[in-house]
Amino acid sequence: MIRNFFIYLAMLVVGILFFVSMVLFAIPALQESTIVLVGLSSNSSGTGEVEADKSSIETDISKLQKKLDAYTPANAYMVVNTSDNHYFLYKGKQLIRDGICSTGKNEKLVSEDRKYEHIFHTPYGVRKVLRKATNPVWTKPDWAFIEEGLPIPSARHPSRVETGTLGAYKLEIGDGFMIHGTIYKRRMGMSVTHGCIRLLDEDLEAVYKTMEVGSKVYIF
Amino acid sequence: MRKNSVEDFDSLFVEKRSGVKRTFFIVVLSVLALTTIYIILSVGAVRDQMKTAQNLAQGSPQVNSSLLPQLKEKAWLESRIKMAAGDSIGLSIDLEELRIQLELKGVVILSSKIRDYSISGFFKKMDGNVYFATFGTPLTIQQFKSSIVKNPLKVVQAPKDTIAAQAAADAEAKADSLRDENVFWTVKLDRNFDLDIQGIDSIAEAQSKYKLGKGFEFKRDLKNIANSFEHIFKFKKPTYTPEILISIPENEAKAILRALPQNASVTIRI
Repeated sequence: MIRNFFIYLAMLVVGILFFVSMVLFAIPALQESTIVLVGLSSNSSGTGEVEADKSSIETDISKLQKKLDAYTPANAYMVVNTSDNHYFLYKGKQLIRDGICSTGKNEKLVSEDRKYEHIFHTPYGVRKVLRKATNPVWTKPDWAFIEEGLPIPSARHPSRVETGTLGAYKLEIGDGFMIHGTIYKRRMGMSVTHGCIRLLDEDLEAVYKTMEVGSKVYIF
Repeated sequence: MRKNSVEDFDSLFVEKRSGVKRTFFIVVLSVLALTTIYIILSVGAVRDQMKTAQNLAQGSPQVNSSLLPQLKEKAWLESRIKMAAGDSIGLSIDLEELRIQLELKGVVILSSKIRDYSISGFFKKMDGNVYFATFGTPLTIQQFKSSIVKNPLKVVQAPKDTIAAQAAADAEAKADSLRDENVFWTVKLDRNFDLDIQGIDSIAEAQSKYKLGKGFEFKRDLKNIANSFEHIFKFKKPTYTPEILISIPENEAKAILRALPQNASVTIRI
């Protein structure tokens, strides 16, 4: 009785294993085989055969390539990789400088009473340099106080003004986001900022001098 | 009396053996029948996918096969220009030049060398018309699945006072280290294709990652088996999804995953 039970069980297990191996290996292999895929061509009768000659297609290709190339800015632009915390400075298609940077820490700060929320994230997409300035002064927003466990002062309170924190230069790219320097050099190359792009002093100077107002910043 | 009982015992044994045999044949026949049905349904699924691809090409002008390389180049550029018209980050995959790129408004913002790739036989069997109907315009991502979080966002409670803020800052500084993550992600594209990307940095690392990658795939295989049983018991055709598997450096695999929006466009040249 017990012996038969094990025989039946073994048969069932072997049967299931056989089926599973067919599903996992044999059938996918069959699906990819030439026998099954034969005839994967269009049976289109066509709306009139096009005898396009090689030179006209090559002319089209050349036009399309020019159109695509025209999308790349001829003047300086910057690409920021927030995943690797690395920036690239280009002029046309030529890379002229690259290095580490720091970008948004991908955090959502929630105040104790849950009335205040702020997401620290560097936004993806394309932006333009809107303004440039030397020796920038940082006007601390509300979240800077909430994050430090301090009470929020009035809008024009002197404690909001901080000098030196942003380094020697800043390039504003809209919605309060900036490219600037840092005093926290040890944490460069990490995702630690509140959304701005921090650069080392020499990189910041090069970026400041190369990028014009209107230059594009591509962030991903 | 004694003789009879021995005969009875023997006949009982023979009956039992024939019972086992019968069950054996039933099991074998059932498995074979199930497998045959499943093979027929699976082949039918491939045929359906082929029919869909052929229907896409229906009515388009015939392609001169001698001009195929030029026409492929044209389709590649046309599709990227269409992708550039959008505001979102798109993905372009060139299996001829072995490059994978992120593009934004026509500008290449990340370009990475493809280390290895494999494609389903389905793509290799396409003729010019089916190829252009399939890859002449950008594809759209419909679903992401990944071994890492696509858009990580940590929720942090604001500290009560400056002491708590300092403690939180110290803890954050200690936690900062280079994390080694295994990056595998797969997307479902419209026109019913799967695109799988795996991050591989070195041969040695690739071997260990391969096992982990298999772990990621194993879950998918389990799901496939479950689906197969469901399909077979309902006598439904299983799905056939042609696949493109690409191996690229891990950092880039991660950056691309994080950068792509939910319904990103994808341009492919095979």
